[in-house]
Amino acid sequence: MDLSLLLGVGRFVLSTTLILLLTVPTAFIIIYLELKVIALMQLRIGPNRVGPAGIFQSAIHGFKVLAKEDFTPDQADRPVFTMAPWMVFMAAAMSMLVIPFAPGLVALDSDISVIYFFAIIGLSVVGLLVAGWASYNKYSLLGGLRSAAQMVSYEIPLTLSIVGVVILTGTLSFTNIIEWQRLHGWGLIWQLVGFPIFFIASTAEINRTPFDMVEADSEIVAGFATEYSGMRFGFFFFAEYVSLFVMSTILVTLFFGGWLAPWPFPAQLAGFGGTIYGLFWFILKTYFFVFVSIWARATLPRVRVDQLMGMAWKVLLPLALVNLFVTAIAVVVFNL
Amino acid sequence: MAIPGTGIVKGFGTTLRNFFSPKVTRQYPETRPQLSDRWRGRLDLIYDPFGDHKCEVCFQCAMVCPVEAIDMSGFDSQGNHIRYGMPEIYDERKDPNAWRRSGLPALPMRNPARWDEAIDTSFVNGLVDGYAARPEALVAIFNAVQTRYGYLPERALRLISDRMTIHWAQVFGAAGLGGFRLLPSEGHLITVCDCAACHFSGGDSILAALREELGIGPGESTDDGRFTLETSSGVGAGAMAPAMRVDTLVYGPLNVEQARHLIHERRRTTAAEGTPQPAGAH
Repeated sequence: MDLSLLLGVGRFVLSTTLILLLTVPTAFIIIYLELKVIALMQLRIGPNRVGPAGIFQSAIHGFKVLAKEDFTPDQADRPVFTMAPWMVFMAAAMSMLVIPFAPGLVALDSDISVIYFFAIIGLSVVGLLVAGWASYNKYSLLGGLRSAAQMVSYEIPLTLSIVGVVILTGTLSFTNIIEWQRLHGWGLIWQLVGFPIFFIASTAEINRTPFDMVEADSEIVAGFATEYSGMRFGFFFFAEYVSLFVMSTILVTLFFGGWLAPWPFPAQLAGFGGTIYGLFWFILKTYFFVFVSIWARATLPRVRVDQLMGMAWKVLLPLALVNLFVTAIAVVVFNL
Repeated sequence: MAIPGTGIVKGFGTTLRNFFSPKVTRQYPETRPQLSDRWRGRLDLIYDPFGDHKCEVCFQCAMVCPVEAIDMSGFDSQGNHIRYGMPEIYDERKDPNAWRRSGLPALPMRNPARWDEAIDTSFVNGLVDGYAARPEALVAIFNAVQTRYGYLPERALRLISDRMTIHWAQVFGAAGLGGFRLLPSEGHLITVCDCAACHFSGGDSILAALREELGIGPGESTDDGRFTLETSSGVGAGAMAPAMRVDTLVYGPLNVEQARHLIHERRRTTAAEGTPQPAGAH
């Protein structure tokens, strides 16, 4: 076999393994943050028993989920029912392949990584839909349909809002987008309208509060996850937090300079030092937006279904189109 | 016109402010709430060591209840059946004699308390009879009993309550109001007069010196049981203010050094005798 092919396969296996391993501590950290931050915002103390300041609380939750009964409804479509959780989880995990964590630290530095990312992250809606269908439960089906409607609707403004960035930078590669931002300043100052559209649409895309219609407990029990228990439910739960992380990384990459520091990158930090330095800023910025998302969850109530859909089609989509139009004209007129 | 989104921004501000505010959670087993000294806990009918209800239907709680929410019926310590009807008769309830009028004939005391206290029954009975069991003589009777025993033994109080047909709760309440000792004192009883004359002529500095000398406050006994410190306005030595009483001897007028000297003197003698002198042995 060709050596370069072997190297490519080895690189793929290594990077996917590392990405999958990365999802576990990421989800644990974000779940812990969510418990703790919401508690603090509600004037409570939050988890403080398991480990110092309760930092192992989410790990204990994980073990608890492992120990629970793995239940399948009698009439469920068994293979699909079993497959749905890992479809959702893999969609979130595999989208991490193209995220540039630091200079030189990206699993798949593709020319079309933006397209890859939005193609893969869009797959999770299939997982939610089949989970709702295969459960043989009205609430699950309603939850699955809601998730399909919501995610398909919000994917349009989400994708349109980043087209502005793509037109500006003239590239579909995240690495090149960051490189462009190093030369021209962060994407936020070029895309003042694009950023809020992306932020709102991505919140809806990953079913976070205030757009968590998919699992609106008071209306449809737990939505698509009603019949899921044990580690299958755990996969959905994991996927939710992994996709929160992933969306924050993409937000940082597109609008906040990725691994760039707020000031010029020190030239003497080449190679490994630069990687650590970039990773630090990248993680810092990412977790800031994770914090903002948790903050929003502690603040905002859930919107109604009609408000949700109206928001996507009547507000975000026109805004995104106008943003795209203005950006395109500006690029032509000012020859950016 | 309101700018859209201001409510959302305000909400985010509130949650962020809360994020940094002090938390209201109380870590119960580790940190306990600060309770007032006068907190008596949940209202409950508890039992005494003899298995009877401790509630004696004395109506003291009903009398002090500001909203007059308490009503009750039952048997008091003398076996009287106390029963109240409608809340319209609040005025009657507040009359201390009202429940006695509604009671059944008195029975012997059911709960003999502290039988280890040997008291002179005929002395107490004679004392009560000497005052013709008049309730206003209660303080005079207490004084006589305290002079005899050095404190007010519980059995004597029970006997007084029984003999005078005054409720135990009221007798005990009067005895606890102040000026009387309810427990035997240990060692030498040092009484610093806190009447106005003594206080303003230097009694407070004497008290402070004795506090420092003995390491205890008024109403406490030293660890070795040699001295008990107390204050009283009843030393009755206004002419030689500031005055101090050690056991039965009254000294005055004193200055701080003399007061310290009296303590040192007692300390030497008790050390020589080897055993502390019990109070009230005179």
